[in-house]
Amino acid sequence: MIRVALALAQREFIRFLRQPQRVVGTVAQPVLFWLFLGTGFSSSFRAPGMEQVSYLEYFYPGVMLMMMLFASIFSSITIIEDRDAGFLQSVLVAPVSRMAIVLGKVLGGTAIALVQTVIFTIAAPFLGLSLGAGALAMLLGAYVLTSMGFAAMGFFFAWPMRSSSGFHAIMMVFLMPLWMLSGALFPIERVPGWLHLLMNINPVAHALVLLRTPLYMSVSEAFQNQRYLLALAVTAVWTIACLLGSMARVETRDKGGAPASA
Amino acid sequence: MIEISHLTHTYPGNRKSPPRTAIDDLSLSIPAGEFCILSGPNGSGKSTLFRILCGMALPSSGTIRIGGHDLFAEPAAARARMSVVFQSPAIDRHLSVAENLRLQATLYGLSGADYKARLGEAVEWTDLRDRLADKVDTLSGGLARQVELAKCLLTRPEIILLDEPTTGLDPNSRRNFIEALQRIQRQRKMTVLMTSHIFSEAEDADRVAIMKGGRLLACDSPQALRARLGHEMVVLQSRRAESLLPRIEADLGIAVRRYGDELRLEETVNGDSLPILERLLGLYRGDIDSIAIKQPALEDVFVHMTGKTAQDIEREQLEIEAP
Repeated sequence: MIRVALALAQREFIRFLRQPQRVVGTVAQPVLFWLFLGTGFSSSFRAPGMEQVSYLEYFYPGVMLMMMLFASIFSSITIIEDRDAGFLQSVLVAPVSRMAIVLGKVLGGTAIALVQTVIFTIAAPFLGLSLGAGALAMLLGAYVLTSMGFAAMGFFFAWPMRSSSGFHAIMMVFLMPLWMLSGALFPIERVPGWLHLLMNINPVAHALVLLRTPLYMSVSEAFQNQRYLLALAVTAVWTIACLLGSMARVETRDKGGAPASA
Repeated sequence: MIEISHLTHTYPGNRKSPPRTAIDDLSLSIPAGEFCILSGPNGSGKSTLFRILCGMALPSSGTIRIGGHDLFAEPAAARARMSVVFQSPAIDRHLSVAENLRLQATLYGLSGADYKARLGEAVEWTDLRDRLADKVDTLSGGLARQVELAKCLLTRPEIILLDEPTTGLDPNSRRNFIEALQRIQRQRKMTVLMTSHIFSEAEDADRVAIMKGGRLLACDSPQALRARLGHEMVVLQSRRAESLLPRIEADLGIAVRRYGDELRLEETVNGDSLPILERLLGLYRGDIDSIAIKQPALEDVFVHMTGKTAQDIEREQLEIEAP
């Protein structure tokens, strides 16, 4: 099963590299967002409890999250493309487990997101953030877990879709708001009560904690921090739930109804 | 090798449309090594049957055994014995031919020396030897179809299912594809079930199954099917076919079938065709645009059984494909 999943993931990655416009789009858009918004708000924004942090720095883990979200969106759209192009049916009729099909897409999306976020991590020293080996390991773990969660969630939504326009609607009304309400753009502390509630129940907000914490805490501090541990647990549960949901979707086959004469 | 028994598939209804039975108590047995063509007009249930055979849909009732394995109870074992060529290309156009074949090999658990040996075999049957490094995007439609065939052969299947594999190919590519398929099928003694509307493809099949309304109307050798219409028939074209039909039936006492502007006198006794033709010309010369005596072809059997001509099917196909 792992061999099949890795082969399908490798295919995703090769396809990504062979579409230069996709590479440019998924890398350039978040970076432009970060540079323009980060620079624009830097003079007027101070996060509570993080007064010394510029908006460019505050927004930095949010952009990482955005990169993972975009990578998952593009990866999920390929499910619809594969169905349209006919490729998916050849995988579905092969004697492979459905779990391998889901893992192949999810690992492919994760690999694409990893390349982008790892490259983006290079920007950390320019923000005055010094990352040790422990912080980098924590960040890498967070990248993998969060990317898998996003990719599995994208898979879950994209699987039953028959057109990419339908998926774009899901993206705009569900996936993007999840990111916007994660604390990536503004902190959770001073928002109205209803928004506070929404942001607290948003699993993506916990993923952001996983990305922000290694920038400011050592490994031992992080693993003694209850908020970090809660974020780790929530993100893991969310990722596993999305994987299981996606597998259930793939298992579903059209079933004939009761005979008309019955 | 393929045992379909009392298969029924009903599409569940909804508020807008009632339940629709696409396959109605269909039983069909295809022995090992047989080349069987499945034909039928649009809506006859062919596509639904194909989806069920591929394991992509579950029927309302009935069983299918593939090489002795219950397709629904042991799907992996059944799928491992067969390969499928779909109507729409199931290859990744961003990958090279070799990359597509390697991915297929991985899906079927092949690797190392075994994969290399099978790759050599699969390529030998096709014209892909010098094109392995090329991206599928750069291949002609005919060669892309051969990649599908090579993908199939890579797994050394006992059974190949093909869903109108030559749709969209030019006549030359179509002929090459079918010839390659038949050559491989004979040498490897594979069981082939192929859906097709193209009657020239069916002429070389061991048996032709004709479906309509979810039921199997006939399944026999092309010769036996043709014999059902006798050895000759009179076919005439007339712009006044509708009004001419009852007159001919009354004057000649022979059953006449009409397909648009075409009238067919199919139940003629051997040797009677020429006198009938002469009588028709004598009686209705002014109403007849053209007239001929012909030996029934498979297409005529299909028209006789389903009431649809090849042109009807092509027209319906275009209507379905139109945006």
